[in-house]
Amino acid sequence: MRVIKLNKENLFPFLEVISEKADLWAPVKKGDKHVFKVVDDFSKVELSTTRTILPPRKIFLPPTFSMFNISEKGYEEDFSHVTKKILFGIHPCDIHGLLTLDNFFKQDYLDPYYLEARKNTLILGLSCWPDEYCFAKSTNTHIIEEGFDLFFTDLKDFFLVWIGSSQGDDLIRLKPEFFDENLTDTDIQTYIRWQTERDKAYKWGINFNALPDLIELKYRDSLWEKLGDACLACGSCTNVCPTCNCYNIMDKQFLGGKDGKMIRYWDACTLEEYSEIAGGENFRKKRADRLKLWYTHKLQAYISKYGKPSCVGCGRCIVTCPVDINVRTVGKALLGEKEDAFWLRFNKEVTK
Amino acid sequence: MEKENNDKLKIGIYELTGCAGDALLILDCEKELVDIFNAADIQSFLMAKSDNIDEELDIALVEGSVSTEREKEELLDIRKRAKTVVAIGICSCFGGIQAAFLDQKEWEKNFKKIYGDTKMTHTKPVQSKPIDAYIKVDYYLPGCPIEKEQFLSTFNRILRGNPPELYRFPVCVECKWNENDCLLNKDIPCLGPITRAGCGSICINHNLPCVGCWGLVEEANLTSEFQLLQEKGFDYDFIKKKMANFSGTGIADFLGNLKGDKK
Ligand code: SF4
Ligand code: SF4
Ligand code: SF4
Ligand code: SF4
Repeated sequence: MRVIKLNKENLFPFLEVISEKADLWAPVKKGDKHVFKVVDDFSKVELSTTRTILPPRKIFLPPTFSMFNISEKGYEEDFSHVTKKILFGIHPCDIHGLLTLDNFFKQDYLDPYYLEARKNTLILGLSCWPDEYCFAKSTNTHIIEEGFDLFFTDLKDFFLVWIGSSQGDDLIRLKPEFFDENLTDTDIQTYIRWQTERDKAYKWGINFNALPDLIELKYRDSLWEKLGDACLACGSCTNVCPTCNCYNIMDKQFLGGKDGKMIRYWDACTLEEYSEIAGGENFRKKRADRLKLWYTHKLQAYISKYGKPSCVGCGRCIVTCPVDINVRTVGKALLGEKEDAFWLRFNKEVTK
Repeated sequence: MEKENNDKLKIGIYELTGCAGDALLILDCEKELVDIFNAADIQSFLMAKSDNIDEELDIALVEGSVSTEREKEELLDIRKRAKTVVAIGICSCFGGIQAAFLDQKEWEKNFKKIYGDTKMTHTKPVQSKPIDAYIKVDYYLPGCPIEKEQFLSTFNRILRGNPPELYRFPVCVECKWNENDCLLNKDIPCLGPITRAGCGSICINHNLPCVGCWGLVEEANLTSEFQLLQEKGFDYDFIKKKMANFSGTGIADFLGNLKGDKK
């Protein structure tokens, strides 16, 4: 992989040039959090963010979109969500999240709605610095070797830019004068120092290797009931997780009976309706069973199939769940480590 | 596809105690109004027309809760005449804000406080209740008021004999779709987790907490929401009132079973 250098002041001019032919999505501020948004004012792009509220999968599969338009002529596929895009500022853990989604959406049936959007989006990764919730080092998703067209490592005065694909290279060719092909020894030293410091900045971690066994050993543990008692079934953990992929579809017919559309929207296995089948039977009526499914998927089943968890350590469930049910507290509870969480303090018998 | 009037399904739209917001919303579907009148034979719709006929109906849409004896009679009569009854709006579905005083004694006390000894002449007031306290309801279309797109697609489905397809999850789901920063996590008392979705999380989109105006979601975990708000420092009575505001009869059991009291 070729690595070149870009001076800091050339970043936004470069983004401006490459965004002439595609929408450029990048992290911008929303309140005191961040979200990915289409930008035209590059001074709004945030270079030192941690996680966005929603993961970048919203750029490929929006929370709701139309799959088909229905008219007298029949069903007509609707790919209006697929446009040429450049996604800048995506961190290693979230790129790993996309690679996990790729596995899923290519598995048995190809999902054209995802794959088309994926094909039309260039990935321009950006390095990051962990905060107290990140634990990507435990999931080994703090480094990235594939899945990007360009990757920018922010070394304060300049970026080292990894060229990950020929499409990435084409972007560089639009403005070759911005880049320097010759890295000095000092540049390389700066990078090595940065990497060492960054790795040390991860403040906590979980031993994921132990979790598949523990989930099996504790499959009937009262822990799950306890989690289920406190869970609000709000679906937030699922919606913010970069590797969750479930959806539901709904027909919307228009009055007059001639046309309509078929809507696809993000579903969540933590919601009651998710496991309901025709006739109203529900496989996972209890919240405890739904959470068990979620955590088994993330921390066990995926590991057996792909050799790594489908958690990428982004910390979104940690900052999102109102009752503190997240990979950290559940993981630690499985490991028998002490943790403080609302769900541990919650007492379903007493409200006073 | 013009159909003769007698081929079309006969529809009645009725209003009991409520703000008339749901009927108004139907009228407000300006672009689609012609389609509505084309697709169905609107026999009775007090807000829209004066030549109302109250006979056999295929579908009755009923807004508002029952708060007088006369409304009760009217509702029983609607049920007798209609093959399908749809409750529209939160008052009809769950009782609405006027059903917040659940305790009969408390209600009587309040009634006296407000109306004193005024003699009620044309009908007898009763404690406000959702329509399913008196009749069988086939479908519920919640909302405060109902949401336009949801109403149109639901109305259309019902016209074709299909049950409505509604979001059955809490406001939080739509709130996340809209990528809001959670207010509850900032210690603002948001009822999104116990409230059914459909409004598009409109309040939170404007940085206001959900007050629960769409009514309780099927699986509302009231105990957890209650204790969570307590932990965030809110007062027992404050939470109780907040949760009871729009939840109507749906929250009666929960409040009745609350342990501990005013400290
Ligand atoms: S489980 Fe939690 S930390 Fe792991 S990827 Fe999903 S949201 Fe991020
Ligand atoms: S675990 Fe937390 S975020 Fe997930 S559904 Fe339950 S309460 Fe909501
Ligand atoms: S702000 Fe309210 S509705 Fe939105 S996620 Fe938080 S609790 Fe749910
Ligand atoms: S109070 Fe809650 S349910 Fe009502 S409109 Fe606002 S967010 Fe929606």
